[in-house]
Amino acid sequence: MSVAVLLVEDSPGDVRLTREAFREANDDIELHVACDGLEALAFLRHEGPHFNAPRPDFILLDLNLPKMDGREVLAQIKNDDHLKTIPTIILTTSIAEEDIIRSYQLQANCYLSKPVQLEAFEDVVKSINDFWLTKAKLPQRSGDE
Amino acid sequence: MKSFLDRTVRLVFGFAIFALLVAGAASYRWMAVSDESNRWVQHTHAVLENLNGLLFSLLSVESSARGFVTTGDEFYLAIYDASQLNARQDEAAVRSLTVDNPNQQAKLPVVESLIAAKIQLTEKVIGLRKSQGFEASLNAVRDRHGQEIMTEFQALIGTMKDEELRLLVMREADARRRTQQARVILLFGMAVGVLIAAGAGWSANREAAARNVAENAQHEGEDRFRDLANNISQLAWMADSNGSIFWYNQRWFDYFGCTAEDIAMPGWEKGVHHPDYLERVLDKFRRSLKAGEIWEDTFPLRGADGVYRNFLSRAVPIRDAKGKVVRWFGTNTDISEIQQSEKNLAGSEDRYRGLLEAAPDAMVVVNQSGEIVLLNVQAEKQFGYNRDELAGQSVESIIPEGFAERLVADGTRTAAEALAQQIGTGIELSGLRKDGSEFPIEIMLSPLESADGVLVTAAIRDISVRKDAEKHLAQTEARYRGLLEAAPDGMVVVNKRGDIVLLNARAEKQFRYWRDELIGKKVKSIIPEGFAERLIADGTRTAVEALAQQIGMGIELIGLRKDGSEFPIEIMLSPLESTEGILVTAAIRDITVRKEAESHLAQMEGRYRGLLEAAPDGMVVVNQAGEIVLLNAQAENQFGYRRDELIGQRVTSIIPEGFAERLIADGTRTAAEALAQQIGTGIELIGLRNDGSEFPIEIMLSPLESTEGILVTAAIRDITVRKEAERHLGQMEGRYRGLLEAAPDGMVVVNQAGEIVLLNAQAENQFGYRRDELIGQRVTNIIPEGFAERLIADGTRTAAEALAQQIGMGIELIGLRKDRSEFPIEIMLSPLESTEGILVTAAIRDITVRKDAEGHLVEKIEELNRSNEELEQFAYLASHDLQEPLRMVASYTQLLSRRYKGKLDSDADEFIAFAVDGANRMQRLIQDLLSYSRVGKKGQELLDISSDGALQKALFNLSVAIKHSGALVTHGDLPDVNADEIQLIQLFQNLVGNAIKYQGPGIPHIHVSAARNGSPKWTFSVQDDGLGIDPQFFERIFGMFQRLHKRDEFDGTGMGLAICKKIVERHGGSISVESKPGLGSTFSFTLAAIKKKP
Repeated sequence: MSVAVLLVEDSPGDVRLTREAFREANDDIELHVACDGLEALAFLRHEGPHFNAPRPDFILLDLNLPKMDGREVLAQIKNDDHLKTIPTIILTTSIAEEDIIRSYQLQANCYLSKPVQLEAFEDVVKSINDFWLTKAKLPQRSGDE
Repeated sequence: MKSFLDRTVRLVFGFAIFALLVAGAASYRWMAVSDESNRWVQHTHAVLENLNGLLFSLLSVESSARGFVTTGDEFYLAIYDASQLNARQDEAAVRSLTVDNPNQQAKLPVVESLIAAKIQLTEKVIGLRKSQGFEASLNAVRDRHGQEIMTEFQALIGTMKDEELRLLVMREADARRRTQQARVILLFGMAVGVLIAAGAGWSANREAAARNVAENAQHEGEDRFRDLANNISQLAWMADSNGSIFWYNQRWFDYFGCTAEDIAMPGWEKGVHHPDYLERVLDKFRRSLKAGEIWEDTFPLRGADGVYRNFLSRAVPIRDAKGKVVRWFGTNTDISEIQQSEKNLAGSEDRYRGLLEAAPDAMVVVNQSGEIVLLNVQAEKQFGYNRDELAGQSVESIIPEGFAERLVADGTRTAAEALAQQIGTGIELSGLRKDGSEFPIEIMLSPLESADGVLVTAAIRDISVRKDAEKHLAQTEARYRGLLEAAPDGMVVVNKRGDIVLLNARAEKQFRYWRDELIGKKVKSIIPEGFAERLIADGTRTAVEALAQQIGMGIELIGLRKDGSEFPIEIMLSPLESTEGILVTAAIRDITVRKEAESHLAQMEGRYRGLLEAAPDGMVVVNQAGEIVLLNAQAENQFGYRRDELIGQRVTSIIPEGFAERLIADGTRTAAEALAQQIGTGIELIGLRNDGSEFPIEIMLSPLESTEGILVTAAIRDITVRKEAERHLGQMEGRYRGLLEAAPDGMVVVNQAGEIVLLNAQAENQFGYRRDELIGQRVTNIIPEGFAERLIADGTRTAAEALAQQIGMGIELIGLRKDRSEFPIEIMLSPLESTEGILVTAAIRDITVRKDAEGHLVEKIEELNRSNEELEQFAYLASHDLQEPLRMVASYTQLLSRRYKGKLDSDADEFIAFAVDGANRMQRLIQDLLSYSRVGKKGQELLDISSDGALQKALFNLSVAIKHSGALVTHGDLPDVNADEIQLIQLFQNLVGNAIKYQGPGIPHIHVSAARNGSPKWTFSVQDDGLGIDPQFFERIFGMFQRLHKRDEFDGTGMGLAICKKIVERHGGSISVESKPGLGSTFSFTLAAIKKKP
């Protein structure tokens, strides 16, 4: 069964990097991308063009997003009974303490900061894969609507 | 006499006999009575006997009958008959005997009948025995009846006996009594009789004896008279109590030329007496006889020669022991010649009389008979008699007692002897005046021979006055004694010889003697020294003089008690005139307590003196007279005198004015009051030294009680210096005023009450007031807030303290001008001592301009701060935002490099490599910049942290590099410091990292240490043995992006040390380096120590 991951990231460059990094880590990952918060929610709620979107196994969420800020998205996800069981991992360049605190307060499952170096970044992605997809148990994708 | 005697005796005897007779009669009668009583007793006895006999007879009847019954012997019958007879006889006797007693008589018939019955019975029994024999009679005997009769009979007899016994007792008692009475009467009567007889006999005897004695005496007297009479030249005779002369002496017969028979012839008297005188003589004689008084008369008698001569005749009655005149002894003295010689004598007597008259005292001449023979006019006056009233009278009429007895021959000694004993001594007697009043006299006797025998001349002195005086003296003495006893002090009266004559109870107590133990003793025994010497006349001066010297003064001596203990006394002497001469009364006061108080006071004074000497100020003690009593060394120094030069001098000699007036009682108030007004206040006066120089002094007075009265202690302080200071201060104030005016700033001087005391022209200008508008006003008028509060003592701290807190500080306040406009001022305060206390000088600066400038500056600073902040923010953001694109470039170039290395040509590889490198460097630069900017912006609060811990964390972060280089990092004790831990870690990390990076050949040795070096900050050192740094770069290397090596030598952004510098400077420290190229470097930085002491 392939793994569906929703990546919420506005920088195409970062998107491509992340995709390349995941390809290295785990071939079987199906990476879906949302460019802003609204699109992310629409995807999650199967709204509009995303009516047929799969439910991601976990979400990688950047904080600094246009239209709707990542923090807002997080809050919405975690307030939604339907969506809050999806592990939401914050993946951002910010290492600010208040971002970390806020994220965890909003019930983020994990906070990771994007390293500057490429290798380090690839390591992080690998770690995500290792931990969340190999070791951690995720709730089964149910045919829920 | 005799007859009387006899009569009495006879009477007495008669009485005695009568008494005896009476007694006899009485006793006889009583005896008869008693006899009767006895007879009655006997009578009763007889009755009893007969009663007993009766009983016995009847019993005998019975028993004899029984006997016969038993034995049948006739013998018993005889007895029976006899008994019967007896019984009848006895009964008869009883009857007759009790004839007088009706009681008994009444019983007799019964008795008779009983007897008859009994006899009847017994007859019967006997008859039976006789006739019928034993058995029959036995039965009869057994018959109770007989027994009953017997019993009844016995009882009756018993009763009668009892009666008789009772009577017996009575009569016996009666008889006894009577007998007793009789005896008594008899005895009494006898006794009386005997007594009377005895008495009579005795008195008779006595009378007889007395009569005998009297007769003997009389005989003796007569004999003596006879002897005398026969030996004298006078005619003498003895007469009996009737006056009949029964004896004449021979001279009589000689003179008259007759015999006793002749004289016995009646009418003989006529023959010898002068007819003119006879009647009178006889008359007088008879009268004397009757009265029992001495007879004396002068009359002529014719002698044998027929010549009438004057005879002085005298007869004295001779009394017996009872005073009854029994004889008369008489003499007749021919005085014709005597009369002649008397005339002669009269001449001399006249002379004597003259002397007598001239005598100052009363003179009385008394003859041996106690008669006044002569007296002088003084005597007349004394006794209030006329001469002739006294002449011839017994001296007893004027001197009732004491004179005569002493003088007159009384048979046991002659007049001469009597007199001899009295001569010369003044005898005090009592004189009796004519009016009956008595007065005390003193008589001095002297004998005077005269023709009449020894006469006694008595000089009589009326000692009424003296007696009064003596009495008065005695009274006084008594009163004096009273006073003595009542005196509070011990009083001892001593005579001239030093003997104690008198003392009172108090003195007894003081010296613990009994009075009688001391009276008569020498006063030395209680006051060993000092008394006697002072007083007793010692030959060089009399007692009076000696005393006069001591009178009034209290003399302190030592008293000696009985137990030997001594005690201090004060004696006050006063003279006392007495009959014994001058006595000295000493009032003795036990001054033990006073002495103790004095010694205590002396001690106190001693201590006081000590205090006096120790006092820092000059101390002078002055008495109420204004004289210096005491002073200490300081006073000596102050005034330049020696102590002895000042003591006793008036205080005005050192303090001319102001002291004495203030203190000394001046009649309007006492010293105490005067002093009270001055106590406590320091008074400024002028002191006068020995050398005449003056100096200002301040005196403080306090009273001092002493034995000399209230003294004044003055503490004298030399205030020359103070005065100088004051003067100086005055000067200073003057100068100060000048300065004040000259000052560029406004100067306002404020006193403790917050009032403006002084201000200068600038202040006037500043506040827009005129000087006089502000002086005296409260400073709050020009500086509403902040000044007064800060300065004025508010009860919790003094002005000085308040001021001390403010001094030196420029205080910014708001000044208020006259036009109500405000302006900013800065005041600088400084204290100013003045005579009014501490004043505050405020230099007031108008800081409007400054304030503006400050405000401006503040603005500027704020601007700068803002811009700094913006810059920092900018730097931060920039760095942060730059990261993102940079990451893209770096990552993709790396991806490119990875994926296409070798797949493109070598140029492509090189190009990609440079790109990657650039991107990486860019990333590092931006990271460092970010770090740098974060030092200030993201810095945490400075806390007390362990630098050791920070170093460990830094080394942990460097662990890869340390391992890789094999560097050896050591450190010393690192202290706790006040710092941001993250930044400290960064600091250590940078420095140590640098040390590892710029290592020299071989294993790098790095040492981190910290030292205080006497500074409040810690100096940390990171020492390495690396490449070292050229001194010319010491400054530069701390700049941003500064690198000393080519990129291919050492990697790095050149920000490390800049970051270190920023961190250190943020912590308020400084960073520096010491280095020698090739030897290594030591980077040092300072950090604050922890704020709290460990």
